Amino acid sequence: MRFCLFSVFFVLLAAFAGAEERALVPEAHFAMFEKYCLECHDGSTEKGGVDLEDLSFDISTVESAERWQKVLNVMNSGEMPPEDEPQLTDGEKTVFLDDLSHQMVVARELLSDTGGVITMRRLNRREYENTVFDLLGVRVDAGELPDDSNSGGFDTTGASLFFSSDQFEQYLKLANRALDAAFVFGKKPKMVSMHHESEKDANKKIRRISAKLKKDYDQAQAWRATEGAKEPKDFGFLDESDVRFYERIHNQKYKTFEDYLNRPESQSGVLLSSFFDGATVDSIRIPNNWPAGEYILSVRTATLPGAQSHETFLEYGMIENGARTGELSLLGCRKVTGTLENPQTLKIPVEVTKDGGRVFGLRQRQHNNRDAVRQEFLRSLNQTGLGPPPALWIDSVSVEGPNIEKWPLRGVSKLFFDGMWWTHEDEDAYARKIISRFANRAFRIRKPSEAFLEKLYSLYLDNKASGMKFQEAIRDPLAVVMTSPGFLYLIEPIPGEQKRELTDEEFAVRLAYFLWSAPPDHELRVASRSGAFKKPATLAKVVERMLNDPRSDEFIASFTHQWLHMERLDFFQFDSLKYPEFDYSAKESARQEVFQTMRSILEENRPLFDLLKADYVVVNDVLADYYDLPPVAGSEFQKVSLPLDSPRGGLLGMAAIHAMGSDGNHTSVVERGAWVMRKLLHDPPPPAPANVPQLSRVQGKLLTPRMQLDAHMEEAQCAQCHRKIDPIGHGLENFDAAGKWRDELLLTKVVRKKVRQKKKVTVDASGQLPDGSKYDDYFGLRDQVAKKQDAFSRSFAESLISYALGRPYGFSDESLRERMIKRANAKDGEMREFIVALIQSKAFRTKK
Amino acid sequence: MNTRFSLQRRSFLRSSSALIALPSLESLGFRRFASAAKPVAAPKRFVFLGMGFGVTADTWYPDQKTAGRDYLLPEGLQPLARHKDDLTIVQNLANQYNNEAHWGSTFWLTGANRYAEPGQSFHNTISADQVAAETLGKETRFSSVQLGTTGKENSGHGPGLSLSWNRQGKPMAGLNTPVAAFHRLFSDDSTPLEQRQAALRKQHSILDTVLEDARSAKRGLSKADTDKLDEYFQSIREIETRLSKEEEWLEVPKKKPCKDVKMPEKGVNGVEELKVMYDLMVAAMQVDASRVFTYRQPLETVIKSMGATITAHNMSHYGEGDRKEVSKQRDQKQSELFAHFIDRLKATPDGEGTSLFDNTTLTLGTNIHSIHYLTNCPTVVTGGGSGIQHGRHFVMEPKTPLCNLWLSLLNGSGIPTESHGDSTGQIDELFG
Repeated sequence: MRFCLFSVFFVLLAAFAGAEERALVPEAHFAMFEKYCLECHDGSTEKGGVDLEDLSFDISTVESAERWQKVLNVMNSGEMPPEDEPQLTDGEKTVFLDDLSHQMVVARELLSDTGGVITMRRLNRREYENTVFDLLGVRVDAGELPDDSNSGGFDTTGASLFFSSDQFEQYLKLANRALDAAFVFGKKPKMVSMHHESEKDANKKIRRISAKLKKDYDQAQAWRATEGAKEPKDFGFLDESDVRFYERIHNQKYKTFEDYLNRPESQSGVLLSSFFDGATVDSIRIPNNWPAGEYILSVRTATLPGAQSHETFLEYGMIENGARTGELSLLGCRKVTGTLENPQTLKIPVEVTKDGGRVFGLRQRQHNNRDAVRQEFLRSLNQTGLGPPPALWIDSVSVEGPNIEKWPLRGVSKLFFDGMWWTHEDEDAYARKIISRFANRAFRIRKPSEAFLEKLYSLYLDNKASGMKFQEAIRDPLAVVMTSPGFLYLIEPIPGEQKRELTDEEFAVRLAYFLWSAPPDHELRVASRSGAFKKPATLAKVVERMLNDPRSDEFIASFTHQWLHMERLDFFQFDSLKYPEFDYSAKESARQEVFQTMRSILEENRPLFDLLKADYVVVNDVLADYYDLPPVAGSEFQKVSLPLDSPRGGLLGMAAIHAMGSDGNHTSVVERGAWVMRKLLHDPPPPAPANVPQLSRVQGKLLTPRMQLDAHMEEAQCAQCHRKIDPIGHGLENFDAAGKWRDELLLTKVVRKKVRQKKKVTVDASGQLPDGSKYDDYFGLRDQVAKKQDAFSRSFAESLISYALGRPYGFSDESLRERMIKRANAKDGEMREFIVALIQSKAFRTKK
Repeated sequence: MNTRFSLQRRSFLRSSSALIALPSLESLGFRRFASAAKPVAAPKRFVFLGMGFGVTADTWYPDQKTAGRDYLLPEGLQPLARHKDDLTIVQNLANQYNNEAHWGSTFWLTGANRYAEPGQSFHNTISADQVAAETLGKETRFSSVQLGTTGKENSGHGPGLSLSWNRQGKPMAGLNTPVAAFHRLFSDDSTPLEQRQAALRKQHSILDTVLEDARSAKRGLSKADTDKLDEYFQSIREIETRLSKEEEWLEVPKKKPCKDVKMPEKGVNGVEELKVMYDLMVAAMQVDASRVFTYRQPLETVIKSMGATITAHNMSHYGEGDRKEVSKQRDQKQSELFAHFIDRLKATPDGEGTSLFDNTTLTLGTNIHSIHYLTNCPTVVTGGGSGIQHGRHFVMEPKTPLCNLWLSLLNGSGIPTESHGDSTGQIDELFG
């Protein structure tokens, strides 16, 4: 024990001297250790081969971390102290486990600190797509490549971006696909158009189905009329259950079809009804011989009387091969305001690609799931005898396009920089130039070697020799360039392991991949040559332009999505009967709200802390409707002021954040509380420990979430974290699983999938933060959280550093983080200032 | 006939125009068709099935007091009853270093310590299947086959691209849909031989070209970056090995699966996906496309397809009540499908008088016991590949390294291995 005391004494001194971060188990636990552990686990007894006497309370090596991990594990699992030995009091255990698990997190971070080393980065999937687009002007779908996300980190972390042989082949395939799509030669395509009267096909189909239903039903009744005198077979049925089948489907479907055909609106257009088999979709097929490009769908449409506001949106998307009836790969959603007397025409641009789908569909907004539509249909059928009443009507759809601004396409004119090959006398010489130019462009900074270029050229020559035409022969070498390290990796050499300042060219690349996830554009390259990066003022101008450029959407969305762990939004399918309004369009709008709020804060130079609390929201028409705010015009996001008593404004008021803290059905108090601690309070709970005994006492009883989770306080292993997590989650219980406000919650006891008991209770959102700040309700919680500006600044700055530099945040980054915060605070916490400060920092300019 | 060199086999085939007369096992190392030659022992095979989140503790594990032959199969394993004499259940195996309560697959076959490398927040080592593949994979078209599932689901597997990690401890990609697996394993290239030869030549020059750039990119890189770029070099080497194998196999058409395995439907998921993948593995073994298989199994979609409305993570935190029901149903379905897989392997002949089952070692399990527990990982071993005397239930000392089992299985299958992961020695009881 002497040794430990000595080392702690030393460390305490060091701490006073302002030395580096350490992972220390507090001295206060010595006595406890001595009392409960050392009896058996001292140097002389070493029970079970475990000697804790020489275990340093300063966790500074992988070895000591492993031993402490074992102490933590056996205490968490209740293995130690053994049952027949004196036990720690709950209080002692809670505090010790709390301290040790936190110090273990610190130790792991210390031990895995790279000391600022930035590992070379492979382009991640997003960057790959954007970089290909920059080179060739076409979008490829890199979704087939392995997922780049890694636990806890960002998809820019070089050390976690692996490379495998399968990937090599996929890159080659994708490059070939991109080149195929980019190689569009010949004359500029002429505009074409067509007109589609929506009711024609729809009515024909419905008439056919309903006639068949009626015929089969009549036949069934004809057999019934014989009262057993004849066999079902005599009427064309297999047996009696076959008869019942036709009767059943007739009863389920027929009346709704009849009603549809009887409505006068169905004679002039298509009603976007829901049927037993799925939603009605008005579909338009773009002929295969129409060239790729942007087309405009002009949809003449109207709302029907009696429609609810959330239904009066038209969703559009692609109809994939093999999709179930009514399901779309959704592209967007438009509010419909026209009436039958005065229909409107919506102009919807859609992109047609060479290999992509060509069938587009229009549908009334609803859950994008046939099963959900059927459930809703049956519910309505039970209540009214008919399917749900349609809310929208489409008269006709016209298609016109492609809209092509520049010809030849950008990819072609960049590749074939000196005109088409057939205008060149020596096409092989031209090929050599094209290859060299392309390789230089693709490699960004590094010059491709002569030997490499030579080999690329021989690939072309070999292809020619095997009888290929020019445009076929040149494809391989270009695809190979896009599969080479020079293209796939962001390379920053440091000969002799000497850390060094980046060149201006390299700096431009790092900057562009940070803010755009794409290579530098012409303007940025010019700036790099003009010395604009050397002076803070001119550099700030450069950053401003980049953030105002739409390409920075990539940074905002990708950074924010990963920073706030928004992937949870995609984990669950929301129960459509319970949350009819939280469909795909609502969920995507909710996701966008987070990004668009970030964008608005950046654009208007607002403080970061608007994310904690604000008197405005940034919403589109769908979300304004979802939040019961006054309608906003258009699907563009816009800033809207909130009434004083609104729970919205800031992250804690956003539907996306609450939906992430649910499982699609119920809220998760723990998930929400832990999220607030991780992301807003910068006080992440340690990872869920292994082998903690499960609490099952409260399962299957009709209890409020608060009563259920209070059981956490009974066991020290649980209480160590949950006493901090749970109260925050309870403070957010006024938001249901889909983020709508509620004053009461409905408790249900479900046994074998049936609700056995129900009870309504008022939400009690009172509680306290880990530091003891108390609140009476959600508004109080939000106010308390909004006070923790420093904590939130640290959370934001650390993630920003990690994302931008492509490595985990480490303790060695602390001074950088503090400088960023200081600079931002000097400007009232402007979010933009964090970014500028980071870009101007030494770390961002250095490769080590 | 000299059977040592693959090229000679090809010339044999060519001279006798016997392409069609290939045996059902097309491996080069396995030549029953040479009538004069003595039958060679059928090859050993491995299948590792990773379940993700753990099982229902009180209805899956046999009573620990009933070690030995006389034990009862609990509810969760009941569907395997007809194979009881061929099963080995081992309790109390664990990976001592794994502290990640949601990572059922990352270290399952490796036993690595995530934090072993100072300055790194993640580290892994080679998985048992890849150790096996280094030996067993030499003579088949595919050294190993990794199967997985798509989707951003949370099924309790943890980081990784499949169950497999290569010699460098890097994740290996998997075939994530039945369609992708089918194409890789069985689709035949219909292009004429000469064109395929030309294509191979072109692939060689493509690799040669990218290597040229990789070599010049390497100049001046830091140590960490050189290690990163090594992944690229390693990938190219792997493709070259694959290409030279392909050259050997160029004139041997890919064997088609037996008639009851059809091209899988696009988009199958859940229970159906598990079934189809099992069928594909049987077919792949039948034609000896590979001898080492891992399958990181879907779970979220499996319970969804069984009608559950909760998430897999939620299920794994069962208490008393509906969540536990889902967890139990999942165990039973898992066992039922596994039993069916065993049926198929038993029914498929492999060598003289033996079945695929007799020569294969199958393990079903995960690094997660149940809920957040990482001790006593669920482990069922079956198949005759490594010479285990089945029909018994072993209760080991608590926290016996899971790697001791992997070590035993490797050695039992004729792959001499001194240690694997954190192994401390073989489990000799398994064999006698």
